[in-house]
Amino acid sequence: MTSESREKLWDLATYLIAIIIAAFFLVPLLWLLSLALRTRQEVFLGASRFIPKRPTLGNFEQILSDPAFMNYLWNGLKLSALGGIGCLIVAAPAAYAFSRFHFQSRSSLMMSILAFQMVSPLVILVPLYRYMATLGLLDGHFGVTMIYIAVSLPMAVWLLKSSIDGIPKSLEEAAQIDGCSRFGIFWRITLPLVAPGLASAFILIMILNWSQFLVPFLLLTTDSKLPISVAIFTFAGTSNASSTQVLAAACLVAVVPAIVAFLLLQRMIVGALTAGAVKG
Amino acid sequence: MTVSEAAIGGRRGNMPRSSLMRRIEENPFSWLLPVAILLGVFYLYPIFDVLRLAFTNASLRGGEEHYTVDSFVALIANPALPDILWTTFVFTAGSVVGQQLFGLGIAVLVMRGERRRLYGMTALRTIVLIAWVIPGIANGLIWQMLFSEAPFGAINSVLRMMAIQPVAWLSDPGIAMISAIVSNVWRGTAFSMIVFYAALKGIDNTLYEAASVDGANGWQRFRFITLPQMRAAILVNSILITIATLNTFDAIISLTGGGPGRATEVLSLYTFNTVFRNLDLAGGSVLSVLMLLISLVLAVGYASFLPRREANE
Repeated sequence: MTSESREKLWDLATYLIAIIIAAFFLVPLLWLLSLALRTRQEVFLGASRFIPKRPTLGNFEQILSDPAFMNYLWNGLKLSALGGIGCLIVAAPAAYAFSRFHFQSRSSLMMSILAFQMVSPLVILVPLYRYMATLGLLDGHFGVTMIYIAVSLPMAVWLLKSSIDGIPKSLEEAAQIDGCSRFGIFWRITLPLVAPGLASAFILIMILNWSQFLVPFLLLTTDSKLPISVAIFTFAGTSNASSTQVLAAACLVAVVPAIVAFLLLQRMIVGALTAGAVKG
Repeated sequence: MTVSEAAIGGRRGNMPRSSLMRRIEENPFSWLLPVAILLGVFYLYPIFDVLRLAFTNASLRGGEEHYTVDSFVALIANPALPDILWTTFVFTAGSVVGQQLFGLGIAVLVMRGERRRLYGMTALRTIVLIAWVIPGIANGLIWQMLFSEAPFGAINSVLRMMAIQPVAWLSDPGIAMISAIVSNVWRGTAFSMIVFYAALKGIDNTLYEAASVDGANGWQRFRFITLPQMRAAILVNSILITIATLNTFDAIISLTGGGPGRATEVLSLYTFNTVFRNLDLAGGSVLSVLMLLISLVLAVGYASFLPRREANE
C-alpha cells in the first residue's frame, strides 16, 4: 500500500472518530431539545420518539409567558453583566501595570493573584455569609455582584495582561512625548486599542457568571431576586416525571444564551484562552 | 527601554499636574490597589477567618463563641470522613484522567484533520467547546434526563428498545459514581482539549520532519516527540483541572445530590451540607481548611513546574 492511500485510510478513520466524538457531545443537547418539544404523552415514549411525532412549542410558551421566569432570566443577565463590567473596571488598571511597568515583585504578584483562582468560592463563602448578614448585604444583588467580581478577577487580570502585551508600545511612547499623563495614556490610547481583548474577556466572564450557582444560591433567598441558574435548580426540585418536558424547555432556555454568546465570539474567546494557555 | 517619564511627563499637559499625582501614577502599586482591596476583602480576610473559625465552636444558629479544637477532634473521629475523601479522590481522579485522555485525543485528531485539510474540524472543535459553556446546574439536570430510569431516560430507553436490561445509572452506588464522572468529563473535556490544541500548535514542525527522516512511525513520533514536548502543558493542565474538579459542586448537587446514600458526596458537597444544612460553621471551617490544604499542595506543585522565563522578558 502506498503511503498516500494509507493516509486516505487514516482520513476515513479520522472522520469516523470525529463523528463518534461529535455524537457524544451533541446527543445530550439534542435529547434535551427532543424532550422540550414533546407533549406530556410523548415524553413517556422515550427514545422511540427522539423526533417527536407531534412537536409542540407549548412548553416554551409556558416557560416564557411566566413573568417569574422572565425575571429569573433578567436577574441572571443583570448579575452577569454587572459582574463582568465591574470586574473589567478593577482588572484593567492592574493588567496595565503588569504589562507596562517593570518592578521587582511583578511575576510573583501575578502568580499569587492566580493562586486565588484555586480557592473554592465555597471556602470564602463560609465566613462571608456571616459578614454579609451583619452588613445587611444578604439577599441583595449588590453583595452577589461584588463576589462575582472578586471570583473572576484573577482570570480577568491574566487575560487583559496578555491582550495589552499584544499591542505595540510605540503609540503610548509618542503620547508620552506629547506630554500625556500615564492615566491619560491608559484611558485614551491603551484601552481603545485593547477593546477587542476587553470585549472577549467581558463575554467570557459573563458566560462564567451566568453559570454561577453557589454564590446566588447561598446569598439570595427572595424568589424574585434569583438568577436563572438557581431558579432551574429549584424548579427541578419541585418538578416530577409529568413535567419533565417543561423542565427540559427551562433548561434549554437557560443554556441557549451562553451557547449563542459563545458561538458569536468563538474566535475571540478561543484566541484569548489559547494565548493564556501557551503562556502557562 | 521606556523613555524617562519623569523628565517628560506632564510638561505639555493641558492642566498642570501636581508632582504627587504624578508619583501616584508612576507607582505600579497604585494601579494594583483596586485588585488588592477586592481580593483582600473577599479572599484573604475570609481565608484567615476560616482558619480562625476552625478553632471555635461557631454555629450559624448563633450563640456564644469560644476557642476550642473540638471541631478538629470531631472531624478526625468522624467515621464518614474516609468515605468522603475516597469518593472525592475517585471522582477527581476519574474526571482528570478522563478529561485529559479525551481532550488530548480530540486535540490530536483535530490537528491531524487540519493538516490533511479535512472538512468539519472547526465544527468538531466548536461542538466540544459548547459543552464547556453549559452551566454546571444545567449539566447535572441534562445528564439526569439521560441517565434516568423513568421512561424518558435516554440511555435506558435505548437499551430497552434493544431488549437489554436497563441499568440503574443513578440509583446504584457504584454506577452513580461512574455516571457522575461521565457527566463531568462531558462538560470538562473542552478545557483540556483547547490547552492541548494550543500546545500542539506550538511544537516545532522540524522535529517531526527530522523524525520522519530517521524513519519513525506515527506512534513513535507521538511517543518521543509529541508527549515530551507537551509535558509542561499536561502538567499545568492536570493541576488546573484537578483543582477545578475538587471544587465541583453544582454539577453533582443537581445530578445525584450526593446520593444514593453518600455514594457521590464529595468533599465540597459535604462541606456545603455541614455549614448550610447542619449550620455547623466550625465543622465546615475545618473542612474548608482541609480543602484549602489540598488545593495549596497542588498549587505549590503547579508553581514549581512552571518554567522560569518571566524574569528576562
